[in-house]
Amino acid sequence: MSKALQIALGIITSIGGFLEIGSVVTAAQAGAAFGYQLLWAILLGVLCLIFLVEMSGRLAAVSKHTIVDAMRERFGFPFFSIVLLGIVLVAFLVLVAELGGIGLSLQILTGIGFPWWAIPVSFGVWALMWKGTFSLIENGASLLGLFTIAFVVAAVKLHPDGASTAHGLLPTFPGEDKAKYGFTAVSILGASISPYLMYFYSSGAIEDEWDESYIPINRFIATFGMSFGGLLSMAVLVAAALALQPKGIDVDKFEQAALLMTTALPKWGFYLFGIAMLFACLGAALEISLAIAYFFAQGLGWNWSENLQPSKDARFSFVYTIIIFLAAIPLVMGVDPIKVTLMGMALTAATLPLAIVPFLFLMNDPIYLGEHRNGWISNSVVAIVILISFVLAVVSIPLQVLGS
Amino acid sequence: MELNAELLIGTKVVDSAGESVGRIEEFRVEREEKACLVNTYVIGVSGLVDRLSAWTLVRPINKFLHSHKLYSLYEIPWQDMDLTDPRHPKLRKARRDLRPVN
Amino acid sequence: MKLVRDVLDKQLIDRENCEMGRVSGLIMHVGEKSQPRITHIVIGGETLWMRIHPMLGRISKRLARWWGPKRDGPVRIPWSRVETVGRDIKLDVRARETGAIDWEIWIARHIIEHIPGGGEKGEEEE
Repeated sequence: MSKALQIALGIITSIGGFLEIGSVVTAAQAGAAFGYQLLWAILLGVLCLIFLVEMSGRLAAVSKHTIVDAMRERFGFPFFSIVLLGIVLVAFLVLVAELGGIGLSLQILTGIGFPWWAIPVSFGVWALMWKGTFSLIENGASLLGLFTIAFVVAAVKLHPDGASTAHGLLPTFPGEDKAKYGFTAVSILGASISPYLMYFYSSGAIEDEWDESYIPINRFIATFGMSFGGLLSMAVLVAAALALQPKGIDVDKFEQAALLMTTALPKWGFYLFGIAMLFACLGAALEISLAIAYFFAQGLGWNWSENLQPSKDARFSFVYTIIIFLAAIPLVMGVDPIKVTLMGMALTAATLPLAIVPFLFLMNDPIYLGEHRNGWISNSVVAIVILISFVLAVVSIPLQVLGS
Repeated sequence: MELNAELLIGTKVVDSAGESVGRIEEFRVEREEKACLVNTYVIGVSGLVDRLSAWTLVRPINKFLHSHKLYSLYEIPWQDMDLTDPRHPKLRKARRDLRPVN
Repeated sequence: MKLVRDVLDKQLIDRENCEMGRVSGLIMHVGEKSQPRITHIVIGGETLWMRIHPMLGRISKRLARWWGPKRDGPVRIPWSRVETVGRDIKLDVRARETGAIDWEIWIARHIIEHIPGGGEKGEEEE
């Protein structure tokens, strides 16, 4: 495949794989409650993500180590086990939310309640992992995720005001509901800066056998893929600001989020919303399941690859099998996926330091990266992300209690 | 005596007078065909920084803080380390007789 | 060579390029007057959990008696079988003969191969 085609595919899959239930729900809530005021949170999250994703790809391409590999080797098993526990628990919660998102999408499309969909959906996700290859999952699911471009169409059709939208890109303080504003901002950042995305991206670079020649491609994909993906998130917020805020509708239920599409596209909006969310959450569920299995396999030194037959990497396959079916249990019991989503986003924000601090060390390691290690700009960005992550870690849970 | 080398990492080391010297952070070894010979034990925070390959991060911060504490580093020859009790390693010398590595 | 940075927690690869786990521990022989020597690499088992807390090591040992492949303690590979120490540690052994991938084989045989599409029975014997 030519490099140009690889870049194009990489950007497209980044766009298609960007939105998931967390980013949609948090952006919709932000738009419905605060209009354009929280666009800056999405912008900040995306800027951080561009740098983190680029670094993840660079580390893999140059050192031939994934982030997890390198973390285990450099920091040793005792430290690694703490990160494993924190990241995997939170990722599991997010997996429950994504499977729930698929179930909720099917609920609004068919009228059958999401608890009934929990087992078939989990089975479907598992079957794709069992029989599929990395390319199928990365490219196939993400290409289907391009249905989420419907949110951009909806936002444009609602005729947003350019000046107000631009104003929302600058941080402002809310007049009222400060706790809710803070919590929503934290949730947006938690939805954007997801450690599992970094782990998945670096594992993907190894699966795709990247080397140093891929550094420019990596930079392109990270920058443009995440930027366009971030535009999708902003489109959700803008559409919610125009469709929901004037009517005083808060997004507590999944069906309310559908209104931001149906207001703009009365005829097809409902089904488009359902289909877009179905594919977005499917892609995310596959990605998180793989990320968790990668974490165990790479950290503990097992055979791993999505391109191998399951019996050839038995422990790796066993891990994703177990977690997918465990994730179905809360949904079968009727636990609200939206509540799980918000908790997952807040906890992702709270556990960010665990992922980002070791990453800063790795990106400055001359043995892994040689001349390709971080310069002062990248280090400054990571330092800012660490600062943000510590602030989020401290405030996210109290804000969830006060603001949700 | 057979012991698990990995359990020595981070263990506090005292000198012959019982004064704390630092923690074991690394082992410098020489590879041979049938075994690795332990030449020196690296003790001190700088040993940890070295192990994490973190000097490119630590040096600028250190410079900014005008701190010297981070540069504590001792390389103890194997003959000077008493591992009779692996949980409480002891030096066979006093701290004042040790020369820190710059 | 630096033992902790260059050997401990590194990926182990056998002569057939099979990933056989990571270096969980290192056996050191210490004599009264002789130079200490690292004689074995230890893989997995309670050695790994002991590094966090001895109690976790004991729990891991007890659990391994009830479930999974039966072993008398963690896997030990003599240092003489180490070929190269670089990005990974290459060993002059066959992973399945060392016991390092006993868990992998056990899970493949008892669970994965019973699920349709998991792989042919006994494939891992090749």
